[in-house]
Amino acid sequence: MSLLRDIEWEPCLLEPRPDPELSDRLKKRFGRVSPSTHYFAPCAELSESIAALNGLLLVRVNVDQDLLDKVGVVVSQDNSCRYCYAIQRAMMFAVGVSDEKLRRLAHEVHTGDLTDRERAAIEFTRRVSRANPLPRRDEARRLEDAGFTDMQVKEIASIVAINVFFNRLSTLPALPPGRMEALPDRWYVKLARPLLGRFIEGMRRPMNPTKLDSSEVEGPFSTVVLATNGLPLARELRRLIDVLLSDGALSRRSKALVFAVVGRALGCEYSVEEGTRIAIESGMNPGSIDEALDHLVSEELSEKEKQVLGLARETVWYQPAPIQRRARQVRDELTTPEFIECIVAASTANMVCRLGAVAVDRP
Amino acid sequence: MSDAVWLVALLIAAAIPAGLYWRSRREVEDLSRRLDLSASQLQSLQLSFSRFAPDEVIERIIADEGNVKGDRVEVAVVFADLVGFTALSEEVEPDVLVGILNGYFERMSDAIAAHRGHVSKFIGDGILAFFGALSRNPWQCNDAAHAALAMQAALKEYNGELRREGLPSLRVGIGVHHGVGIAGLVGSRELMEFTIIGRTVNVAARVQDLTRRLDGDIIVTDALLEKLDPRFDSRPLPASTVKGVSEALQVYAVDGYSGVAPVEAAPISADSP
Repeated sequence: MSLLRDIEWEPCLLEPRPDPELSDRLKKRFGRVSPSTHYFAPCAELSESIAALNGLLLVRVNVDQDLLDKVGVVVSQDNSCRYCYAIQRAMMFAVGVSDEKLRRLAHEVHTGDLTDRERAAIEFTRRVSRANPLPRRDEARRLEDAGFTDMQVKEIASIVAINVFFNRLSTLPALPPGRMEALPDRWYVKLARPLLGRFIEGMRRPMNPTKLDSSEVEGPFSTVVLATNGLPLARELRRLIDVLLSDGALSRRSKALVFAVVGRALGCEYSVEEGTRIAIESGMNPGSIDEALDHLVSEELSEKEKQVLGLARETVWYQPAPIQRRARQVRDELTTPEFIECIVAASTANMVCRLGAVAVDRP
Repeated sequence: MSDAVWLVALLIAAAIPAGLYWRSRREVEDLSRRLDLSASQLQSLQLSFSRFAPDEVIERIIADEGNVKGDRVEVAVVFADLVGFTALSEEVEPDVLVGILNGYFERMSDAIAAHRGHVSKFIGDGILAFFGALSRNPWQCNDAAHAALAMQAALKEYNGELRREGLPSLRVGIGVHHGVGIAGLVGSRELMEFTIIGRTVNVAARVQDLTRRLDGDIIVTDALLEKLDPRFDSRPLPASTVKGVSEALQVYAVDGYSGVAPVEAAPISADSP
């Protein structure tokens, strides 16, 4: 994992803009404000959804913490995300996991020094994370043969999907990892470690299953949302999708097209169909949508939309520094809220497509 | 025996296991350090190789699973070859020729990478590149055609540089085809490579040959044109027979792109992982 710290990383594309009102709201709701929140503050509602999802990385329902830690390590490795790894390292340091143990964990998932059950879960994690190709639901069911319940499989997929979301969300704007990387080495953090550990252990807790209300069952991408029903992700995903697909700085149709393009890139027909349906609902000509999906250009697309879709396709597989340079070109063409919505849409689309592994049967 | 002798004996008896413990601990630490280093080198290799083969293939190689199975993949193939290179090689000095060729390969590789392709190999003065081989790419035909145009533009610029240095200009013929190929590790134990084999690759090479006979520097097949953005300026060429294909191939020349310039992939710097 030390390699991740050597990965080339561009200067950040967003300015942190603390919003006291938003911070108060988040403190009331989650008890803390994540440092990344300030970068997305110009889109307050989205920022709140992101904070809620962030909290979900710490909770579990049916799967043991040790396995979830390994899943997190695998996704960070696969996506070469320095920011995500820095957060993970800082958190594990706080709960008493030394750098040496973390390295050992990284070796284990890398060299396959695992139990059969863990190996099955890690292989599934990699398949969902890489999505090259996207695993089918019957592959997810194979995990049940390794002793996992249906809900445990869904939880593993959910954790991978949330990690994939945060990998994109932090890599695309090149959120600065420096502070987080240095945190475990600061003397005052070392001193406060026992206290911090207790605080974080308190957050890393098992949760009871939560069911969606009837009002939350309907809406865009409901198949994926429903597949996670019972997990805390379901409600936050519903909320994130609803906020994202309301008209904001970018139009609803632009963001729907991002889902369709990412779906097309990953071979997730469900995301293509839902994205297309919403774009048609928003008044776009079906012929133009087909053209945009086939060629990423269409007369009906605005220049901004062409830029956004061009970036969306790149978010599926990437190397951090090149995608950040590409994001910089798009950033220059968009306002700050437009850019934030663009990267949140691409990150969410990547998450939704990964969740398709446990939600959608493919031919 | 005196107390002093007992004390010395006791100290020696205690020192031996302590020394052994200290030594074995150092060995464990040393092994651990070496393991860390090996793992880092392994990860570094994996990251480097991921530009040339899919992650799964690399992992299977690392796990020494030997038999890496072949997969059918949908792929767009670009085959480029310099026209008149043999004559050129007889005209200029060997070191100048190598310099010209390396400059050409570098520019062509950049143009290919900028459109999300990867160079599989250089064959003499030829280049074989794939689009969609390492990861799924539904836009591979457009990417391949854009790459072919970018290669042509890069060569035009390079020819300017060559002329200024009093060197002869180059001309490239490019064949582009789309179809299904077999992706896998091919070769002997000593020399193995990840590549695509099959009819699709052969056809691209044969279509490239047509640039010598027909009016077009970039020639694509109808299988590729079918998936191509209509904004590409294409014109039909006479149906042509090529070696290894029983029926005449309908081919087209691609002369340009009339739409807005496509979004290029972000450049990958030499020190990228």
